[in-house]
Amino acid sequence: MKLELKNISKNFHGVKALQNVDFQLQENSIHALLGENGAGKSTLVKILCGVYQPDSGIINLNNKQQSIPDPSASLSLGISAIHQESVMFDELSVTENVFIGNHITKSNGLVDWGLMQDKTNQLLKDLEANIEPNEKIKDLSIAQRHIVQISRSLIHDADIVIMDEPTASLSQKEINELYTIIRNLKKQDKSIIFISHKLDEVIEVCDDFTVLRDGELIKSDTIQNTNKDQLITYMAGREVNQIFPKNNVTIENEIFEVRNLFKKTQFKDINFNLRKKEILGFYGLVGSGRTEIMKSIFGITKLDEGEILFKDQKILIRKPSDAIDQGIVYLSEERQQLGMTGLMSVKDNINMAVMDRNSNFYVMNKLKEIKNSSAMQEKLNIKVSYWSQLTQSLSGGNQQKTVIAKWLSTKPEVLILDEPTKGIDVRSKSAVHEFMGELVEEGMSIMMISSELPEILGMCDRVVVMYKGLIKDILNVKEASSEQIVKLASGES
Amino acid sequence: MKKILLNRDFILFSIILIILIAVGFANPLFITPKSISDVLTDTSILIILALSQMIVILIRAIDLSVASNLALSGMLISLLSTVHPELPVYYFIALSCVIGTTLGVLNGISIAILKVPFIVTTLGTLSIYRGLIYFVSDGKQVYSNEFSEDFLALIHFKFLSLSFLFWLAVVVFIIIYVLLNHTRFGRNLYSLGGNPDAAKYIGVNENKYIIMAYSLSGFFAGLCGYLWVARYSVASTQIAIGFELTVISACVVGGISVMGGVGTVLGCVLGALLIGLIRNALPAVDISQFWQLAISGAIILLAIIINTKTEQRKEKTIMVEN
Repeated sequence: MKLELKNISKNFHGVKALQNVDFQLQENSIHALLGENGAGKSTLVKILCGVYQPDSGIINLNNKQQSIPDPSASLSLGISAIHQESVMFDELSVTENVFIGNHITKSNGLVDWGLMQDKTNQLLKDLEANIEPNEKIKDLSIAQRHIVQISRSLIHDADIVIMDEPTASLSQKEINELYTIIRNLKKQDKSIIFISHKLDEVIEVCDDFTVLRDGELIKSDTIQNTNKDQLITYMAGREVNQIFPKNNVTIENEIFEVRNLFKKTQFKDINFNLRKKEILGFYGLVGSGRTEIMKSIFGITKLDEGEILFKDQKILIRKPSDAIDQGIVYLSEERQQLGMTGLMSVKDNINMAVMDRNSNFYVMNKLKEIKNSSAMQEKLNIKVSYWSQLTQSLSGGNQQKTVIAKWLSTKPEVLILDEPTKGIDVRSKSAVHEFMGELVEEGMSIMMISSELPEILGMCDRVVVMYKGLIKDILNVKEASSEQIVKLASGES
Repeated sequence: MKKILLNRDFILFSIILIILIAVGFANPLFITPKSISDVLTDTSILIILALSQMIVILIRAIDLSVASNLALSGMLISLLSTVHPELPVYYFIALSCVIGTTLGVLNGISIAILKVPFIVTTLGTLSIYRGLIYFVSDGKQVYSNEFSEDFLALIHFKFLSLSFLFWLAVVVFIIIYVLLNHTRFGRNLYSLGGNPDAAKYIGVNENKYIIMAYSLSGFFAGLCGYLWVARYSVASTQIAIGFELTVISACVVGGISVMGGVGTVLGCVLGALLIGLIRNALPAVDISQFWQLAISGAIILLAIIINTKTEQRKEKTIMVEN
């Protein structure tokens, strides 16, 4: 046994990210770690990398109990992770990225560029990769970056390599090249933890698998004993233990429509419509283009082609204020960075988007502001300890409610919610859901991006399933099965 | 070829050449060897300070206290030399460096250990160090006749008809070049500035590097403290006042990104040279003194615009053409 995790648990502010999870990695094998977004895979990886500390549980490495207090400890134990997000140095060369933190020095203490260059060249040749050691990382493709990261872990003499969705944005040719490299790694006696949403490739490449769901271990076995359909059931199947207060409303006529939206390298052929009082879900893997489409509709980024119709009229949205004036608002996924100003009070945040409506000749009308914010605060039940409390000191749930209040103040007709319940506690979550139900009852139409399947199934009328910048299908939620949605979202069928 | 043409250092070098030629046409006296050697001497202190400021900017910080540090170190050794004129000059130089380094370490400790943001720390020490000069000197000046001959002699030493200051700047250039490009310390500075989170993943100790960077900045500020008083033969409360901004603009012109992790040692020197050139050239082409400051500012801004326009960021890709 190369690596064994026993009874690992991890909580974040009451949210159970991992619950008594066991994980076993055999010597010299490729082990698939499977699960939907939010299943706990990343948390597990971050524990192995020393980024998070488990609340309880044991880590055995080479049959010896170990603790991994920080990232450098993880490295020195021979664990190396190839991340989706960039942990590379864009402005530095390939050679340097391979040797970063591990520069070879000559006897006089100076860095031996020549030797490092040669070694990098040799490594890249061994991996059969066509990359110049002198190139800067920022000039490389994503596939090439992965290869540089792999080379880095080889230099660090890692014998456990964790790959987090290494094929996520690669072309088929690049994927095949990567497979070759992964198999070469296995031949060099490395153990690999392979995270992927593409089940075909998991079955093709991996020896064993472990499925997590909602932070719990569902199944761990060898790949030979399973098949794709079974894996999908493991990943998607779940008891409905959350209650979604979706009210029954009569959906009315179409209010909003997009035709042939296209943005280079981001998405294309995007066609969908939204009806009054409808909740339209957008499901897909992280990075499938959902957020990018909404940002374009809201005028944050520019569309290359396509038209947007609102109430049967073509509208032009060049900047967010155009959209707000039309009655379309967008709640960003990045609440802290883009949704609110943490150092301003709840009241000021709520009134931020309607300053023009609450002022007379550019002078703020305090009374109007107070009226609006107290009405919103009551409506959404935002809990503040005192009148001028700073938004950053609120809980995640109350922050999200504040952001929602800010946008509702503009009296929108179409509300775009991007992961509205990400990272907030269960109670606030259901409060947000309940509130969405009330809003559609009052006549609003909602588009909701969510990576949580139960949320999509519980709240939406229809769901747009996306994969790599394309709409795979638009399904009626009542008729769709979760397996079908997961399949579509991972590019199968 | 295109790569060379779009190279920032090359563009900067071209801008310097163009200005030099243009000024040469207006006033041929400006491009005589003697005059150019004077410009180089005049710019040497700026080059040294820009190079040490670069180390700090690389890790996404700034040292606003350099000019005050320089002035305080310079004043302290000047006062000592009036009391002990018999001491050899290298003693004063070493002492000046030690004082400067100490002041730099204090900055580093405040930022790394006490977690006071770098801008607040160095803005504070800018005033504190400057204020201490009044305290130690009683607001009085040290005049040229009060320095020992030995103290001032070194600065007038010449080699190949180029000044001591110029050669010292060359030596500092080589040292910093090797430090940043050929030592682990230097490379880790780049990684720390380029992607601090990722640098922590590979085990770079951020606090240690912050303190080291500020110590180096302080060391060279101390060195320049001696150079400044020796060159101008005067130490007063007012020397090098506001010079930190000139130093920082030299770095920015030289392509050292204030976002950290980007910039070459050569670019930094070229940036300092460009600013030194403009300062010396404007009087040479008879531009009214009232205009000089504004025009040099405009040229600096223009150089930065030309320089940054050559590099643009890429968008992330979702769709891949199969």
